Amino acid sequence: MDTLKIDENPLDLAEKILKDIKSSEGMGLLKCIQCGMCTSMCPGARNSDYNPRDMIERVLEGDETIIEDENIWNCFYCYTCHSICPVGNSACEVNQILRQMAINKGIANDKVRPFTGFIDVMMDLGLGKIPSIFHDDLTRDIGEEWKEKNLHLDEIREELGLKPLSMPKESIKEIRSLLKLTKLDKRVEKINE
Amino acid sequence: MRNIPDKNVMLFKSCLVSGEYPGVESSTKYVFDKVGIEYIADDRQSCCTGLGHYSDVYDQFSTTVIGGRNFNIAKKTNHAKIAMMCSTCYAIHKKVAKLLNNNEKVREDVNNVYEEANLSEMKYEEGSIDSSNNIFHVIELLYNKKDEIGKNIKIDLSKFRIATHHACHYCKIQYEDAIKGFRDPTILDDLIKSCGVETVGWYDHKRATCGAGFRQRFVNRDLSMKVTSDKLLSLNEEKIDILVHMCPNCQMQFDRYQPFIGKELNIDFNIFHLNIVQLIAFLMGADPYKVMGIQTHTVPIEPLIEKVK
Repeated sequence: MDTLKIDENPLDLAEKILKDIKSSEGMGLLKCIQCGMCTSMCPGARNSDYNPRDMIERVLEGDETIIEDENIWNCFYCYTCHSICPVGNSACEVNQILRQMAINKGIANDKVRPFTGFIDVMMDLGLGKIPSIFHDDLTRDIGEEWKEKNLHLDEIREELGLKPLSMPKESIKEIRSLLKLTKLDKRVEKINE
Repeated sequence: MRNIPDKNVMLFKSCLVSGEYPGVESSTKYVFDKVGIEYIADDRQSCCTGLGHYSDVYDQFSTTVIGGRNFNIAKKTNHAKIAMMCSTCYAIHKKVAKLLNNNEKVREDVNNVYEEANLSEMKYEEGSIDSSNNIFHVIELLYNKKDEIGKNIKIDLSKFRIATHHACHYCKIQYEDAIKGFRDPTILDDLIKSCGVETVGWYDHKRATCGAGFRQRFVNRDLSMKVTSDKLLSLNEEKIDILVHMCPNCQMQFDRYQPFIGKELNIDFNIFHLNIVQLIAFLMGADPYKVMGIQTHTVPIEPLIEKVK
């Protein structure tokens, strides 16, 4: 007869996820009945090997290798699964938390490094802008007109009766000091290592 | 049903509106003025973090600290009814409000950050911003004024086939707040109806994401384009002339990449992409370049305007 291991709790991972700051109150992770509705409507699952039902199953089995699974990076964060789950689970939120776990373990720096530009712009201007690292790709796919639009944005805004994009210096200073206190700058440094 | 405000509104500036489709902001202001919505916009307001947040580079705590700062601006200007032009700004702030109200530990930690930064005036008081009653999408304010909108319409679009794209971050995250359904969302269809035009209503893929997928558009382009093209093909089959949007990220995905996808698939997609506020402003007689801002679009809107003349 197999011996039952009673000192291991397979729900450790699920409970850790439920306690995460990103987890919605009352999320029905432990109620998942593996119906697969999430996977049936998922744009990532339709076009890649990502499978939210399988991801939840592995979480409930306490299989921590899911954190290293490449496929979790194919979720679109569209929340379709979240909006249709019959037991109020959110594969989308679980996915976001697993990705954060991967980042915290230092195994996902390559995945998120391209996006640190969003934080640079926030620290510099208090605004969000598509990071310049992507501009060549976008210009190639969309056309030169897109680049032209960026160059003339302030003039176009003026034509529309809108002020140039800028925040008061004092506000930018506030943003910068707040995000340093949340240690976001340290997080970015680690990602860029 | 939530109480939809028409005064004390802070129009929340969106980075993708500001940088990609500034005409959405000028059109919103134009329509707000026409239908009598009292609002301010405040330069001190920052980005919501959304694009970076959903690309996983922000942690939820940093996003919450930034959100609380924006709430403070809305409260101290006595314009605590916050209206979003972008569905991700909308979802981000609802999440922040829920965390600040329901999670004592997070609220304390956030307030400690404000104190340490010598910004004690920003300290968040439990319940001062309610996810359902303080945070809105611009289209909800307009839905509440649909009779007023109807009275101001000067152009008839009934010869066109119009479909709607309801943004995921409006109707799939805090779906309990979506005022006209989330399984078959109709708020855009109803708004267009108030302009005297019927949309095609339900179509295959109506509920599907635009395909931007945050990181996917930038680092997983083929996957992103496949999802967008599935929806475009479905719209093409329905012979849609105009797709109406409510989120600058979705609008960007379809407007910017439609020609690219068309070339890849060797299909001539002839679908115009307009935000609902651009469409309403247009039907009210607004100037295409001084209000609608069609000069920043990739799929030209001029042929549509020509057809209407």
